[in-house]
Amino acid sequence: MIGARSIAEPTIKDTIIHRMDPRAKILVLISTAFIAVTLDNPETTFLLFLIVLSGFALARMPAIKIKTLTLLLVLLIWGTIYSQALFYSQLPRTVIFTIIQPDFPVLGWLTNGGLFVYEEGLRHGAIQGLRSASILSLGLLMCWTTDSRDMLNGLVGLRVPYSVAFMVVTAVRFLPIIITEVVTVVTVQRLRGFNPKRFGPGIVKTSLNILTPTLSNCVRRTGTLAVSIQSRAFRANPDRTYLKKLKFSELDKAMVTACIFAAISIVIIKLLYNMYTSGIYYTSGLRPVYAIARGYL
Amino acid sequence: MSLTGIGKCRKSEKYSNEKGCGMKNIVFFFLILVLAIQPAAAQVQEEFKPEDMTTFMIQVPHGVEGSGLAVGGSNLSAYLFFESYYDGNMNVTMELDLPEGFVLQDTSVYSFSLQTEYEDWYRLVDFYVPANLSSGTYNITATAVVEVGGNKHTIVRKTRLKVASKEEIAEEIEISGLTVPSDEDGYGDPSHPSSTLVVRENSPALKKLLKVTDLRIDREELTSTYIGVELTNKGDSTVPVIITYDVLDIKTGEPVKAFKPAIMGMNSDTLCYATLTLSPGSSSLVSLPLYISEDAMGGEYLLRVKVKLTGSDWVAVTQDQKITAISRKWGPIIITLVSSLLGLTTVSLFFSRSKEIMDRFKTRNLVLISLFGTVSFAAINLPMTILWELSHAVFGPFSFLFTGLFYEILLYMLIASLVVLIPKPGVVSLFMMVRFLLGGFITGSFTPITFITLSLSAVLLEVMMYTAGITSKNPNPENRFRMGIVCGIADMVSGYASFSVWMVLYRLFYSDWYIMANILIDGFLYTFIGAWFGISLGNRLKKVAE
Repeated sequence: MIGARSIAEPTIKDTIIHRMDPRAKILVLISTAFIAVTLDNPETTFLLFLIVLSGFALARMPAIKIKTLTLLLVLLIWGTIYSQALFYSQLPRTVIFTIIQPDFPVLGWLTNGGLFVYEEGLRHGAIQGLRSASILSLGLLMCWTTDSRDMLNGLVGLRVPYSVAFMVVTAVRFLPIIITEVVTVVTVQRLRGFNPKRFGPGIVKTSLNILTPTLSNCVRRTGTLAVSIQSRAFRANPDRTYLKKLKFSELDKAMVTACIFAAISIVIIKLLYNMYTSGIYYTSGLRPVYAIARGYL
Repeated sequence: MSLTGIGKCRKSEKYSNEKGCGMKNIVFFFLILVLAIQPAAAQVQEEFKPEDMTTFMIQVPHGVEGSGLAVGGSNLSAYLFFESYYDGNMNVTMELDLPEGFVLQDTSVYSFSLQTEYEDWYRLVDFYVPANLSSGTYNITATAVVEVGGNKHTIVRKTRLKVASKEEIAEEIEISGLTVPSDEDGYGDPSHPSSTLVVRENSPALKKLLKVTDLRIDREELTSTYIGVELTNKGDSTVPVIITYDVLDIKTGEPVKAFKPAIMGMNSDTLCYATLTLSPGSSSLVSLPLYISEDAMGGEYLLRVKVKLTGSDWVAVTQDQKITAISRKWGPIIITLVSSLLGLTTVSLFFSRSKEIMDRFKTRNLVLISLFGTVSFAAINLPMTILWELSHAVFGPFSFLFTGLFYEILLYMLIASLVVLIPKPGVVSLFMMVRFLLGGFITGSFTPITFITLSLSAVLLEVMMYTAGITSKNPNPENRFRMGIVCGIADMVSGYASFSVWMVLYRLFYSDWYIMANILIDGFLYTFIGAWFGISLGNRLKKVAE
């Protein structure tokens, strides 16, 4: 059963991916996100997706995680395919199914000439879905191979203000407690004959019934927690020391350098190419760059 | 000298003067007579030379000097031209003699008078070359009988018309080059990618904005670019041709209207053609204007260039070239750019002044914001990680009606109740930041879209809440209507920006009606409901806090 736990909890092992510095993982993720949104070539996008997936093999992820990943990817890519099959607005496009006829009363007018499923949109959705799939996969790989405390240390190491990092630490720490509380509230409501999973106009009432006791506990907890934190000299000194020191390995450095270099290069090349195709800027010296962008990116 | 002598002399002088004046008058009279008589005499003497004093020309078909070319089934015009260099009246009778089998559609004999020098006469004489006429070279004769002063002179002009079969003509004419896009003269322009057209927006407001940003988009008219067509005549006849083109749907082969829009009420077919007379063994380059209406869609098209022989609808040569149209929507691009810059600026400002900002909040405020962030993650993000994808897979684009219940109603309930508990500027931003980082660490959703939409949403909510007095110095966060409107508008704007970001960064397509429905229902209605009930929730929690 794929549940919240299989999504949220990391699997701690001793692999090359697990040993990576969390800062390196964050930087690799950001670089990959830039690369993924910049690429247009379907083959290269697919290659990027495969590279990201190979990380799961290197990290020796357990079957439940792979199952979760597969489910999420299938749903994500299918969702993109579905929407793009309906809204694809390039030519050629071949109608394979009509959902709303153009002359259908009200809806035909509302949808500005009907709603159709386009064959070419399916393909476009599949290609574009790979973009999101690469980012999601790498994000999950990062989360599933890093302890949240290490991740937060990584954030502080990347100069995120300590107060913010502290807030996130607090949020992470209380997540299991709050999930348990939400589950308890839902169980209590069901025991009292209320069906909180029923959707419809009663959703607001359901939400209020779940949120009120959960948040009330949070508010009560806030006072105690604040006193506890302040008594431990929170924000008393501008600089903090940390028990665990983060250190980039040579591999981390190489990975980060390669990813950042690749991201910057691809973004610049695509930017120049788009300026060329839009008639904004052209110089004959950049012809090889345009050729690379057109052929591979 | 004596007085008598003086008087004599004066008398003699007077006489002499009178005699001299008489002679002068006679000479003058003769001079005028000679001048008056001379031209008439000369005219009488001038001999009319038909070849020197006239120009007589025949072109078959019109525009072709020398031997022309035609295909069976053509409607052609023979061009007859006569000009006089003779300063006098002449009567001309002209006769066009077409070979047997040709069908003349006008009269073959024409009579006219030319009164003076440089006066001319011309006529286009229509005739039809039957489709079943055998191939070969035909002689066409035009005879002009010129009558000047009662004398008749005959001038004869001959030309030849080669009637060839379709196969022969198709072999003689060749499209030797096709350049898309080209400059006005038909030459390739390396500053534009080959076989690529850019469809641009035509919004005046956008044009103004782009002018400010120095991105020039001159769209005073519809002309987008030109097509350069190079034609080669490999035969030994002069060929008059008409070159046209069509932009076709690559799959159905149907012409796409957006590439031939009506221009000033006229069909653009009347403008998108070029005529050319190809001499034997020559090549010529012509350019054709290519008009693109702004509602043209991007994608792959087939450009079909057609060459017809003048007078015939038969297409002698065609050449197809696959072209790509890039639909560059500047609106979403600018919105994405502005949203990204706004997000980055806000984060940079926060990082540079983080201590000042964070010091405004008590520790219990920070803890409460964190816990609200956790609740929002536990109640919204975590279940929606699968439900979002699942609803997208099942309901497709209409999943927003379902996911909005979580993402809008629940989220804005939390935001509004948090603002009721801590009515300070910066609360919403910190809440959003915790959500973003939590989502990134737990579900790996460190995506550019999440960053841009959350940061934009935070900035909009902060600014609007402060302006509306919800989080100002004297905060009044409990007005449900105000909170609902502020949150609704902010979410509509960030929702619209979010669609732009999806379209630009993820190259996804969304219909305008869908975006509108989404931002109205999800962005405003659900948000309004969430914010409205969030005030109740906040008030209840306030009692707990007290």
